[in-house]
Amino acid sequence: MLTDLFGPLSMHRFGHDRGDTDGGSGDHDHNDTGGTDVLARYRERASEVHERVVHDHGVSCIEFLGSTGSGKTTLLERLVERRPADERVGAIVGDVAGDDDARRLEACGVDVVNVNTGKECHLDASLVADAVDELDLETLDRLYIENVGNMVCPADFPLGAEARVLVVSTTEGDDVVRKHPLLFQSCDAAVVNKTDIADAVGADTDRMRTDITEVAPDMEVFETNARDGSGTDRLTEYLAASGRGHAHTD
Amino acid sequence: MHELSIAQSLVDQAVDTASDHGADRIDRLELAVGEATHLNPDQLVFCLENVVAGTPAADADVVVDPVPPEGTCTCGWSGEPDTLPELPIAAPDLRCPECGERIELTAGTECRLVRISVPEAVEA
Repeated sequence: MLTDLFGPLSMHRFGHDRGDTDGGSGDHDHNDTGGTDVLARYRERASEVHERVVHDHGVSCIEFLGSTGSGKTTLLERLVERRPADERVGAIVGDVAGDDDARRLEACGVDVVNVNTGKECHLDASLVADAVDELDLETLDRLYIENVGNMVCPADFPLGAEARVLVVSTTEGDDVVRKHPLLFQSCDAAVVNKTDIADAVGADTDRMRTDITEVAPDMEVFETNARDGSGTDRLTEYLAASGRGHAHTD
Repeated sequence: MHELSIAQSLVDQAVDTASDHGADRIDRLELAVGEATHLNPDQLVFCLENVVAGTPAADADVVVDPVPPEGTCTCGWSGEPDTLPELPIAAPDLRCPECGERIELTAGTECRLVRISVPEAVEA
């Protein structure tokens, strides 16, 4: 005999291996508060980060994510180099281990918090909130979040940024979009990086664009070569428009 | 691989709820998992079966109900979107079948503990 908790008020019977499958008396449900959606809870935490960083402190917040080696850190280096002279930049950098990316951004004059996730394959909003505690938001105009190199898990874990920018590279193959549709759908813009070697690695960037449009309608697409910075001007303009921070406006 | 931390949250929730109702054993955990997430039901069940060790849910059956994506559009359309064709993984077509604009998903991105079953007569 079993009692169901959480469930709808309607009677609910089920087979069970302890011999109470005979429709025996007394199975009944309790309509409880209903189970919390665990993933929604992570999304709520992301909203809290957004509220604090973007609304309370007016800091523009942009997340970059994508595979290890797609060029996220190099792209960030170019963006930081090209920032307006008075723009103060902070970064939260996630990696399973090590501080290689953090050091590179520090060398560009960025105030960096390095987050080692250990056994987790992605940043989540709680980790970001802890990292934000280590930054002085009053001194920042822009906060970049570089996620752990991963094309799967981050899809389910937004971090509260104003824009999620997915960086893929031609070296990942021009079928990379089709293999990761849910991640593209969870992002606002895509960067196709390493376009300078697209021919050499046999990647058709037009196909990548077409796939992106099919999987994630209206997604902005930028083609870059982050090593020499080509293509990053358009991205800079996009980020300036989408990530302003909006303290005191609502 | 984030099924383990998700599993831990779900079991914590189940154990707390059972405790609130005076139950010292959980016989069944029923989950709703959105198909437009990267949660792998098999891995989630595997993780749950490990996380429950030493808890009142140690011998619980675990059932996962998949939740198909649903969406709405600003044009007024709502329903189950088509699945994008010819992809190696199932993903919803986010173009509104009525107007072609991008739809918002309203279901299919959840992971929820729907119901737990405990021995009767602990709380009525």
